[in-house]
Amino acid sequence: MDNNTALKADNIVKYFYEPEKFQVLKGLSFEVKKGEFVSLTGKSGSGKSTLLYVLSTMDTDYEGSLSINGETLTGQSMNRLAAFRNQHIGFVFQFHYLLPEFNVLDNVMLPALKLKRYSAKEIEARAYDNLRMLGLEDQALKAASKLSGGQQQRVAIARALINDPSVIMGDEPTGNLDSKNTAIVFDIFQKLARERGQTIITVTHDEDFAHKSDRIIDMRDGEIIG
Amino acid sequence: MAATNYKIAYVHLTSKIRQTIVALLGVMFGISMYVFMNSFMTGVNDIQTVLAFTSISHIHIYNDGPEDNTNLVKKAYGPEVLANIRNAKVIQYIQGIKNPEPITALVRKQPDVIALTPQVNINIFFRNSANKINGTLSGVDVENENRVFNISEYMVAGNWNDLKYNPEGVILGADLADRLSLHMGDNINVLTPDNVSKTYKVIGLFRTNVNGVDKSKAYLNINSARQLLSANSDYITDLQVNIKDFEKTAPVIARLAPVIPYKVESWQMANQQLEAGSKLRNIIAVAVSLTILMVAGFGIYNIMNMTINEKIREIAILKAMGYSSRDITTIFLTQAMVIGLAGGVFGMGLGYVLAVIVNHIPFKIGGLNNLPMAYRPQDYLLAFFFGLMTTLVAGFLPARKASKIDPVTIIRG
Repeated sequence: MDNNTALKADNIVKYFYEPEKFQVLKGLSFEVKKGEFVSLTGKSGSGKSTLLYVLSTMDTDYEGSLSINGETLTGQSMNRLAAFRNQHIGFVFQFHYLLPEFNVLDNVMLPALKLKRYSAKEIEARAYDNLRMLGLEDQALKAASKLSGGQQQRVAIARALINDPSVIMGDEPTGNLDSKNTAIVFDIFQKLARERGQTIITVTHDEDFAHKSDRIIDMRDGEIIG
Repeated sequence: MAATNYKIAYVHLTSKIRQTIVALLGVMFGISMYVFMNSFMTGVNDIQTVLAFTSISHIHIYNDGPEDNTNLVKKAYGPEVLANIRNAKVIQYIQGIKNPEPITALVRKQPDVIALTPQVNINIFFRNSANKINGTLSGVDVENENRVFNISEYMVAGNWNDLKYNPEGVILGADLADRLSLHMGDNINVLTPDNVSKTYKVIGLFRTNVNGVDKSKAYLNINSARQLLSANSDYITDLQVNIKDFEKTAPVIARLAPVIPYKVESWQMANQQLEAGSKLRNIIAVAVSLTILMVAGFGIYNIMNMTINEKIREIAILKAMGYSSRDITTIFLTQAMVIGLAGGVFGMGLGYVLAVIVNHIPFKIGGLNNLPMAYRPQDYLLAFFFGLMTTLVAGFLPARKASKIDPVTIIRG
């Protein structure tokens, strides 16, 4: 694996056991380069989301091997993987999944407070920077639940970015947004990939969104078809 | 990291403040009940002890009568020789305690002994003309008797110390005086088993609230009692001893019994029902309060479980962002701890208030004015400790459940 590879999946096989044994991922191997903006597409049931959660390190019940930034993650302990996610992976989900009892700023700061690379003051400053970049700095002290859907998704992106992760993963990050907000989110992702060299891997149903990205991994029945 | 977990715990606690308060009230109620029940039971036991020790001492030394010497033939020739002895007469060679001086000195030397008093007790008929009542006339060393039994506290008429200088005076139990229609200053005639009759003057009345004592006992100066029996000037029948801790009679008995040729008896041996009563009350108190604490514990368990079910998505998202299982456990255990600590502190306060209120409820039986209550720091500390343990156990199981949540299943739905 050369230095330019962000993520490498080797012969990933995964089964579902409910309601009966079923092979979801049929030996997938591929690499993603640093700074690449990859869309995972395919019909529902094609295994693209399942693949994303395997790549995310949250799902450890698979065969094959996975490495991110040259570190082999297959077989690591749950706590080690949690620490790895904290530092290297940012998530944006279809539903924003903010913590509704915290304000916007706290939501953005939480992963960084866990990582503790910076002091609380610096983390706050960085959170404000991220919010400013996403046009949300004036919402910082509002409760997360008081924002519109598009705003909440942007807060979730700000949160995903707070630890400068090398990989940002999205599970249909625009699935719940109108076309205007979808365009905003796409622009942000593209900017992150181009300007900061962050790798973006996102599952999407949106054809336009996928076609505008650098590369499409199209899946059908647990196999990559293009 | 810890600070962030505490912050999350704090937000969880404060955002559902009503739930937090319900959980807190549960703990508070459990702990206050524990404090109150134990204070009450201790108060009752203390009063019981005080009442009991107005008439009995911690250790009683007396002549238990001669051993069974009715079959002397068996003693001389062994059990295989048949003997037929009827209507054997037993002669008690020694009445009372012979040569009491060295025994008294020996007992006084024991480090735990705080007071002792010699007595000359006589079974007697009290008579006022045609009224005759069987009872005990107790010849006492006035000062030491008061030290052991605190009898001057229970005087309802006259002065205890008057007995010291008045060889003709007796102090009667109040009920005994009533039954004989006697009043202060009246004469009372006594008749000993040896048919000696003598008249004394009533110079005081006492009421210990122990019925058996109040209606059958009278006190006399010990020297007058010796005179009445025509006994020598150091004759005594009983030696009553008090020690520092009335529970710890066994070691003192173990030291004294082998070297004193008389019966050495602790209050526990003589009054097992008192000890049983006090122990049983303690068991009831502990059982009731632990039950309440357990119920409170289940309440906390329920509420924590509910909280975790409500926050299951947030827990999943925290895990996705890199929070470890331990962080999640910390967050929820912290919540349980806060509820336990706050409930404990408020519970001790409420327990104290309850104790004070109940302590003021009038209860006029057996010499009491109001319900008894003890205020012991150890009851409060124990309640606090048990409360905290209960909340930790009740919080630990849901917290562990939360830490085991698999983020993938929750986030993918």
